[in-house]
Amino acid sequence: MSLSAFQRIGWQFSAVDSRLHRISAGWKMAGMLAMCSAAFVGKSFPALLALLVLNVIGYRLGRVKAVEMWRDMRFFMIQTMIVVALYVLRDGIYDGVLPGLRTSLQILLFFMPGALFLRVTPSSQLMRSLRRWLPERVAFFVFISFRFIPYFAREISDISMAQQLRGARIDKHSLANPRNWPGLFHCLMVPLMIRVMKTAEDAALSAEARGFGKTGRSHSSFTVAKECE
Amino acid sequence: MKSSDDHLLWGMFSLREALYLSFCAIFIVIAKAVLRLHLHVTGHSMVFTMFFMILARGCVQRKGAATFVGLIAGVMCLVFGMGAKSGPLVILKFLLPGIVIDVAAILYPLLAQRYVACIIVGAVAAGSRVIILGLVDWLVGIDRELILQHMVLLSFMNMGFGVIGGAMVPPVARRLAAHGLIPSAGPNP
Repeated sequence: MSLSAFQRIGWQFSAVDSRLHRISAGWKMAGMLAMCSAAFVGKSFPALLALLVLNVIGYRLGRVKAVEMWRDMRFFMIQTMIVVALYVLRDGIYDGVLPGLRTSLQILLFFMPGALFLRVTPSSQLMRSLRRWLPERVAFFVFISFRFIPYFAREISDISMAQQLRGARIDKHSLANPRNWPGLFHCLMVPLMIRVMKTAEDAALSAEARGFGKTGRSHSSFTVAKECE
Repeated sequence: MKSSDDHLLWGMFSLREALYLSFCAIFIVIAKAVLRLHLHVTGHSMVFTMFFMILARGCVQRKGAATFVGLIAGVMCLVFGMGAKSGPLVILKFLLPGIVIDVAAILYPLLAQRYVACIIVGAVAAGSRVIILGLVDWLVGIDRELILQHMVLLSFMNMGFGVIGGAMVPPVARRLAAHGLIPSAGPNP
């Protein structure tokens, strides 16, 4: 998956330099939580509009383009339509539209600081920040998961190719037909799961060799995976 | 925290098991990222989320396995910015289905190899995500009646995809059990 493909879907880091980008992730997270809380406290339209202006100023300070802001917010347009429709159904058009819009605005303002936070905080900075919050061993598994993403993407591709060479109908064209979907699971998922078990064994041995956890007696739930290889 | 290899995380998982669960979380994130580019249907990511969570719980039959998968997947989605429409609650959106699956697995340990159990658990676990949305609605001050309608509307799609994801688990789990990789549930009732 290319970087540009990720960027099209919104809520991604904007690789520019700005004042907001230079603030530490911890402070940005604190600011984000304060702004999220303010969305619940402010019930009147003027207060909510002021908060919206503050968020837009945040986007401007973070040098996030208007099109990127739209990508972050477009989901909430659908949300707004649903909420307003529910209010209108219950209270009628005259009494339902304004409360519906106010509630939708509150929901938008609850999520908007989070989207801005992700726009101005690179993953590396976020991970450094998370390391302080998460238990050390949980952080280890999060980081090791990141390292293995390309590996497993390659594995999926290799297994898929091998199975297609054996006649499995799991190429993109064949999968357009729902009748071929069970093949995806029989031909791809079972070998993939076995491969994952084997990789977990190998990675555990490697981590133990580097002194992670106890290096004494080794135990595994997946000993058979070794035999299957 | 105990240092034994058998009790690496809060006395629950060995290093291998924890790594395996982390890898299952990777697949949830990869599937979510890939599907997101092509589909814009609410709840579609529940297919693979439920599949990998239930399968992970079937392979690592220890309490908290699915919750751990949810935790890792949630943190990864947060870091990748893949759940910003849930804001800071994205981790909870993965944790809740994990907790539901774990509770179900405690009640019925071999659920991963049974169609009916997987379908029910898939639907309930996928539907549980909507609780987060309800929480936000409640904090904002929406009336209870409207919160309920909103939750029902959104949970319908989530549960539908959750059922599909759950139904895909037993064939794979049974194949793994047939190879002796996970405990077998015995003959299908």
